[in-house]
Amino acid sequence: MGKKKKSKITPIALKINLIIFIVLMTGIGFGSFLFGYGYFLALQDKIQSNLLVQSDILYKAIEKYMLLGKANIAMEFFDDIGTISPEYTIKLFRTTGKKAFSDNSTIETVNKNLGTPFFEPKVLGAPDTETLQEKYLQGVMQRPPQDLANIEQIEDNTFFHMYKPLINLPKCTGCHGSDHTVRGIIAINNNITRDLQEQFLRILLIGGVIFLVLTAILLIIITQYLKRAVLVPVKAIGDVCSQVTAGIFSTRVNIKRNDEIGLLGQTVNSMAKGLHERFELSKFVSSKTIQSLTSEEKGKKVAMTILFSDIRGFTSYSAKRDAEEVVDSLNRILNIQTEIIHKNGGDVDKYVGDEIVSIFTDENSAVSACRAALDIQKEIEENSSLKYDNLHVGIGIHNGEVILGMIGSEKRADFTIIGDNVNVTSRLCDVAKPGQIIIHEAAYKRIKDTIKADGPYKLKVKGKEEGLHVYLISRNEGDGGAQ
Amino acid sequence: MNKIWLFGVMLLFLGCAEKKPLIPLEYNDWKRTINEVLKYPIPGHENNYRKIFINDTGTKVVREEKEGRTYDNYPDGTIIIKEIYDSSDYKDTDKPVNLTCMVKDPKNVNSRGGWVWIVKSPETGTETILTQAFCVTCHANANEPHPYGDKNLNNDFRDYVFFPYWGEE
Ligand code: HEC
Repeated sequence: MGKKKKSKITPIALKINLIIFIVLMTGIGFGSFLFGYGYFLALQDKIQSNLLVQSDILYKAIEKYMLLGKANIAMEFFDDIGTISPEYTIKLFRTTGKKAFSDNSTIETVNKNLGTPFFEPKVLGAPDTETLQEKYLQGVMQRPPQDLANIEQIEDNTFFHMYKPLINLPKCTGCHGSDHTVRGIIAINNNITRDLQEQFLRILLIGGVIFLVLTAILLIIITQYLKRAVLVPVKAIGDVCSQVTAGIFSTRVNIKRNDEIGLLGQTVNSMAKGLHERFELSKFVSSKTIQSLTSEEKGKKVAMTILFSDIRGFTSYSAKRDAEEVVDSLNRILNIQTEIIHKNGGDVDKYVGDEIVSIFTDENSAVSACRAALDIQKEIEENSSLKYDNLHVGIGIHNGEVILGMIGSEKRADFTIIGDNVNVTSRLCDVAKPGQIIIHEAAYKRIKDTIKADGPYKLKVKGKEEGLHVYLISRNEGDGGAQ
Repeated sequence: MNKIWLFGVMLLFLGCAEKKPLIPLEYNDWKRTINEVLKYPIPGHENNYRKIFINDTGTKVVREEKEGRTYDNYPDGTIIIKEIYDSSDYKDTDKPVNLTCMVKDPKNVNSRGGWVWIVKSPETGTETILTQAFCVTCHANANEPHPYGDKNLNNDFRDYVFFPYWGEE
C-alpha cells in the first residue's frame, strides 16, 4: 500500500455518497413532485370552490338587483367588476345563448306581463353579438338545471369558468311569467393563471426547501451509518493488513459482527495467523528461497561463494543426551551461526541436520564468507563451554559456479544449490577439524589480499583424481594458523 | 372535474338507493298538505297538475314563535312528496310521471336547508339526489312572502315548504 496507490483510489465513501445522493434525489424528488402535484390539484380545487362561493354571492346580488327592476344596474355592476379586475368577467346570457340586455325583448315581455309600460326600452348601442357556447348552454339547461364549472387551458392561460342558471324564482314570476325555470345563465370567467403560477412557485420553493433539508439529513444519517458499518471496519482491516505487510503479525481485527464485514475480519485474522506461522518457518529458510517463489526462473548457473558449517561430533553428543536438550543446543548453535551469516551478507540456503548450507552472492562474496566463518569460529570457540555445551564446528568454503533452482517434487520443492562445487564444499567442511576453516584455492584467490591464509595444502577427496589445493584461515587474523 | 365528482356521488347514492329507497311508493294513505290539485303554472312544471303528500312524521310539525316570527320545524324523517302529472286536466286514472320529494335529514351531507332534495321516477323507482343548490334556491322563497297558497304574507319561517301542513281539516 504505497502512498502513490493510495492517492489514485476513489474513496468508497465518495462513491456511496454519490449513489445515495442520486437515489435520494430521484426518490425524494419524485415524492416531492407527487406531493407538489397533489397540492397543485388541491389548490385548483380550492380556487374552484372559492369561485363557486363567490359566484353564489354574486348570484344573490344579481337576484336583488333584478327584483328591484334594476337589471341595468346589475349590468353596470358586472362592468364594474370587470374594471376592478380585468381577469375577472361576469356576463349574463339568455337561455337562447344570446347576451342579456343586447336588445329590448326582455323589457317588452316584462311590460307585457305587468300590463303597463313599466320599463322604458333603452337606446341600443352597437349590437352585442357575443353568444354563449352551445356546449355550456346545453350543460346548464338540463332537467334539473346544472351548475357548470370547469378549468380550461387556452394557450398559456388557465381559465376558470363557472356557468350558473339564474332560476325563475317565485318572486320573479310576477315580471317574467311562470313558463320557464331558468331565466338566464350567469357566466363567470376568471383567468387564474397568475394565482396558479404564484402558488405553484410557492409550492416549488417550499417543496424544494423540504426536499433539500430532507436529502441533507438523510445523507448525513446514511453516511454516518455507512461510516460506522463499513468504512471504519474496512479501515481497521486495512490497518491490520498494513501491519502484517510491515511484519507485525500480532495485531488482530477486532470486529464482532455477524455480517460480511465480520467475516472478512475473521478471514484477515486467520490470514495474519497463517502468515505468522509461515513467517516463523521462513526464519529457517533462505530469503533467496522466498524471493525465488515469485520468480519465473526454474534454474540458472550462478557464481558465488558457498559456506558449509557442521558441528563436530554431534552424533555422539546427541546420543548421550535427551532429545529436548539436543534440540535446544542445536538450535542455539544454528541460531548464532545464522545470525552471523546474515550479518555478513550471506544467506542460509538450508539446514541439513546439524549442518548449515549458506551462500554469499555479493561482489566480495569470498571475503564475506570468510569473515562470517571467522566470526562463527570466534564466537563458538570463545564461548564453547559457556554457551554451546562444548560443541565445535568445522567450516568449508569454496567459490565457483553452482546451479540455483527449485529442486524437489511437485509436492515439495526447495530452492537450493547443486553441482560439483557444492559437493566439494561439503567435502571441505567434512574434513575441517573443530574450530577449523578450510577454503578452496578458488576462494583463496579472492581473499588473499585481504585475509591471511595458510597453505596451500593438498587434500585428497573422494571422487577427485587430483587432490585439491586448499588453505586454512585462522580466527585470529595474522595469528599464523590453526592446525 | 366537478361534474365527474357529482356523477360519482350520484352513482354512489344510486347504488345505495338500489338497496334502500329513501322514498316509499306506497304513500296513498298519507295526509295531503293541500287537498286541491294544483294546476296554476309554476316555473319548472308549468301548468301540469300536482298533488302533495306528507308522511305521519311530517304531521307532527312544530310551530313556535320566536321574537314575533313564527317558525315551522318539521321533525327529522319528514317526507313530503309532490306528484307531477303529465297533463293540465285532472283525470282519476292518471299516473304521476315524476315525484319531487323533500326528506328532512339535516345530518345528511347532501342536505340543504335541512332537507335532502330528491327526484324519483315512479316508473323505474330511480332516485336522484339533487346536490346542487337548484331546489333549495327556489324553496327558500317559501320562507318569505310568495305568490302561492296563503302567500305567507306574515313572512313566517316555513321550513322551505310552500304548502305547510296545518292539521286535519
Ligand atoms: C322555480 C321554483 C322551484 C324549484 C326550482 C323547485 N320547486 Fe318545488 N315547489 C315550488 C313551488 C312553487 C311549490 C308549491 C307547490 C306547487 O305549486 O307545485 C313547490 C312544492 C314542492 C314540494 C311540496 C312541498 C311544498 O313546498 O309545498 C316538493 C316536495 C318540492 N317542491 C320538491 C322540489 C324538488 C325536489 C325540487 C328540485 C328538484 C324543487 N322542488 C324545485 C317551486 C320550486
